[in-house]
Amino acid sequence: MLHYTIRRLIAIIPVLFIVSIIVFMIVHLTPGNPAYLILGEDSSPEAIEQLEQQLGLDKPKVVQYFDWLRNVFVGDLGESIYSEQPVSQIIAERIGPTFSLMIISMLLTLIVAIPTAIFIVWKRNTVLDPIFLSGSLLGTSIPEFWLALLLVFGLGVTVPIFPVAGYVPITDGILGWLHHLLLPGIVLAAVEIGLIARMLRDSMLESVNQDYTKTARGKGVKESTVLIKHVFSNALIPTTTVIGVTIAGLLGGTVIIETIFTIPGIGQLLIDSIHRRDYPVIQGVILFIAFVYVIINLIVDLLYAFLDPRIRYD
Amino acid sequence: MRLKHTLQLFTIFILTLILVACGNDSSSEETGEENTAAEEQQTGGTLDVAYASEPDTLDIMQNASSPTRDIAWHIFETLVALDNDFAVKPMIAEDYSISNDQKVYTITIREDVNFHDGTTVEAEDVVASFERWILVSSVGKVAGEYIEDVKEVDELTVEITLNEVYNGFLDDMAAPKTGLAIIPKEIAEEAGEKPLVPEQLIGTGPYQFEKWERGDEIVLTRFDEYSQREETDWGGLTGKKEAALDQINFLIVKDPQVKLNGLQTNLYDYAQNIPADLYEVVESTPNTNPVSYINGYSMITPDKSEAPFDDLKVRQALHYALDQEEIAQSTYGNKEFYEMDGALFDPTQTELYTAEGTDSYLAYDTEKAKELLDESNYNGEPITIMYSNNHEAYKRISQVAEQQLEEVGFTVELDPYEWATYLERWQDPNNWDIVVIGYSTRFSPNELGFLVQDTGSSGWYNSERWSELMDQWGLAASSEERQEILAEMNQTVYEELPIIKVANETTLDIMSDEIQEYDAWIGPRFWNTWKSE
Repeated sequence: MLHYTIRRLIAIIPVLFIVSIIVFMIVHLTPGNPAYLILGEDSSPEAIEQLEQQLGLDKPKVVQYFDWLRNVFVGDLGESIYSEQPVSQIIAERIGPTFSLMIISMLLTLIVAIPTAIFIVWKRNTVLDPIFLSGSLLGTSIPEFWLALLLVFGLGVTVPIFPVAGYVPITDGILGWLHHLLLPGIVLAAVEIGLIARMLRDSMLESVNQDYTKTARGKGVKESTVLIKHVFSNALIPTTTVIGVTIAGLLGGTVIIETIFTIPGIGQLLIDSIHRRDYPVIQGVILFIAFVYVIINLIVDLLYAFLDPRIRYD
Repeated sequence: MRLKHTLQLFTIFILTLILVACGNDSSSEETGEENTAAEEQQTGGTLDVAYASEPDTLDIMQNASSPTRDIAWHIFETLVALDNDFAVKPMIAEDYSISNDQKVYTITIREDVNFHDGTTVEAEDVVASFERWILVSSVGKVAGEYIEDVKEVDELTVEITLNEVYNGFLDDMAAPKTGLAIIPKEIAEEAGEKPLVPEQLIGTGPYQFEKWERGDEIVLTRFDEYSQREETDWGGLTGKKEAALDQINFLIVKDPQVKLNGLQTNLYDYAQNIPADLYEVVESTPNTNPVSYINGYSMITPDKSEAPFDDLKVRQALHYALDQEEIAQSTYGNKEFYEMDGALFDPTQTELYTAEGTDSYLAYDTEKAKELLDESNYNGEPITIMYSNNHEAYKRISQVAEQQLEEVGFTVELDPYEWATYLERWQDPNNWDIVVIGYSTRFSPNELGFLVQDTGSSGWYNSERWSELMDQWGLAASSEERQEILAEMNQTVYEELPIIKVANETTLDIMSDEIQEYDAWIGPRFWNTWKSE
C-alpha cells in the first residue's frame, strides 16, 4: 500500500510537467500583452519595449519557460506582474472562499443525494421512478448561471432571505459565512445531486437482486437493513469515483458561480488574471488546480482499498 | 458563448419587466421619501460602494486608469487641483505666483497639512514628489521636459524654474489622473519608479487607506487629523472636503444585475457603472437614484499611415458617409446618455470648451461621400473596422458604421477582439484601417492621447498644423488667446479629419436615497456627502 502510494505520488510529476508545458504554451501564444495593459491606450512604443524588458517578456519563449520551470521545481511560482505579490501567496489568500464553497456544495449534495437514492431504490418500480429520473435529469441539465439568477431574484431580492452577493470568511463567524455561501452552494449542488443520486441508484439497483441480497432477505432481514447494509455499501465503489471526479470538477465549476455571487475565490482570480494577461498567476493557478485534481484522484483510489478490502494494490 | 449571451439578455429582459411592474406600484412611496431629504446632516456610518473593476494599484501618480483615480483621490491630494468648473485652484498650496517672464513658479504650502502617517507636508516632500512625478507619470514626463529645477526655498516654499515658457504646467500638476500627488519624502524616494505598495499609500486626503483584500474590497477610513480648506464653493477636487463617513468600502462587483440587486436589498449604497439600458429600471426602483456624469466621447479613428485613409479625400468620404446622430441613437438609446457636440472638450469645461470650428461636425451626405470616393484612389478593397467586444457601445457603433459605409461604396469587414488582444493589435497599422474607441474626459490639450503625433492611438496622425497649435498652447497666456487656439484646434480636426467624433458619452451610476447632498462631478467622490440612517 505504502509502496503504491509512493509510486503514484512520483507519477504526479510527469503529469504536472505536461500540464505546465500546455499551460505555458496556451498562455503565451494567446495574443495580448501585459505591457500594453499596464501602460494603457496612450502608451508610447518605447515605454512598452522598456516595460517588456523589465518583465522579461522580450526573452525567447523557451528561455522564459525553463526559467519559470526551474523556479517551480523549488516551489517558487513567481510573482504577479501587477501586484508583485508571490503567486503562492495570492493563491493561498483566494483558496479559502473556493474551498468553503466546495465543502458546502459537497455536503449539500451528499445530504440530499444519498437518502434520495436509497429511498428511490426502496420504492423501486413505483411511480416515483420516472419522477426521480426526470428530476435528476433536470438537475444536471439546468444551466448554473440561470438557476443562480433565478434563486438570487427569488430568495435574494423578492423575499430577501439571503444576501445577493458577497463573502464573509469563516473566521468572522460561521453563521455569516454560511448565510453568504448557501445560495451559491445550492446552485453548485443542484447539478451534482442529480448526477450522484442517479449513479448511486443505478449501482444499487444492480445489486438489489443479487444472490447475497436474496439470501439476506430469505434469512428474514428487514428490507431497509438489506438496502443500507448490503446494497448501499456495495454501490459505494463506483459512486466514490463519481464523487471524486465531482469534487475536482467543482474547482472549475466555481468559476461562473464566484463571478455571479462576487465571491473572491480562485475562479475569479483566474478570470481576472486572464483578462490582464498576468502570466505567472494564470500558470500558477492552473498548475495548482491540476495538482488538486491529481491528488483527489489518488485519494479516491486509496479509498477503494479501504471500502473494499478485496482490492489490493501491491 | 452566443447562447449564453442571449440567455443573459433574456433574463435581464424578464427581470426588467418584473422590476418595472414592481416599480409602478411603489411610486407613491417614493414621493413620500423625498420629503425627508432636508433632514440634518449626520456623521458616521459605513458606505458600501459596488465598484466595477479592481484597480491594479492605488498609485494615482503612476497609473492613469479610472479605477485608480476614483478610489485614490480620496487618499491623495495635489498642490493645485481642479475646481467644479475645471479651473486650477490651490489645494495643498496656500498660493502660487508666476514670475513676469513666466518661467519661475513660486508655490507656498499651507501650514500644518497632515500626512496620514502623522507628519506634516514640508517643501522637501514636495521636491521629492516632483522628482518621482516626472519619472512615473505620463503627464509628469511631459512637464518634466520643461522643468529645469525644483528647489526648496524655505520649509514651506518651493520654487520651480522652467527652461522655457510652458503654460500647461499648472494644468499638468492638477491633472485628476497622474497629477502631482504629494507624498512623504521617504516614501517618494523609496518607491522611485515602482508603483506604491499598500503600506506606502500615505497622502493628505480626507480619507486614509485602511486595507486591501485583493479581488474583494478596498477599505478607506476617515482621517481625523485632516487639514481642511475653508472654501465651500470650489468643489471639484479642492475647497472644503468634509469626511462625514467613518468608513468607505469599495467592493469589487462586476455584474450590473448584482449591483442593482445589491442596492435594492441594502447590500450596497452606491454602485458604479450601470449599462444605460437599465436606466428605466433604475428610475422605477424604489429607494434608488440614478447618478450621471460626463465621461468623454466615442470616436472613429482611421489609420492615416497607409491606403486608403492616408488620402484626405477618402477620410472626407468617410466623414460624409457617417450619420453620427443615427449611430448615437442606436448605440446609446436614451437621450440622457449622449450629446451631439463636435468640440474636443465637454461644454461643462468652460475654460476649454468652444463650439467654434465645429460647424462641419455633422456632415452626413451620402451623395458627396460617393462623389469623393469616386475621385479618390479607393478601389473597393476591404477596410477593417477593429473594436473591442468588451465594450458594448463600441461594438454597436462599429456595426452601424459598417452599414453606413457600405451604403456609399466601402467594402467593410468587422474585426472584434477581446480588450488585451485589441490593445496589442492597435499598435500595428497592418492590423486595421479604422478603430472605434472612446476616451474619458480630458483636462488639457496635452492629454488628448488620440491626437498625439505618430502613435497608434492617433492612427499615425502627422500634422505640422497640429504640432504648431500645441506649441502655441504652451505659450498662450490669456484665456482669450487660449479660446482662439482651441477654436483653431477644432477647425484643424475637422479639416484634416484625424478622427471622426461620434458623440459625448455619459456614465450612469446608481445610489441609495440614503446618500445626501451628493455631487456627481466627473466620478464618485464621497466627501461633503453623508448617509442618513
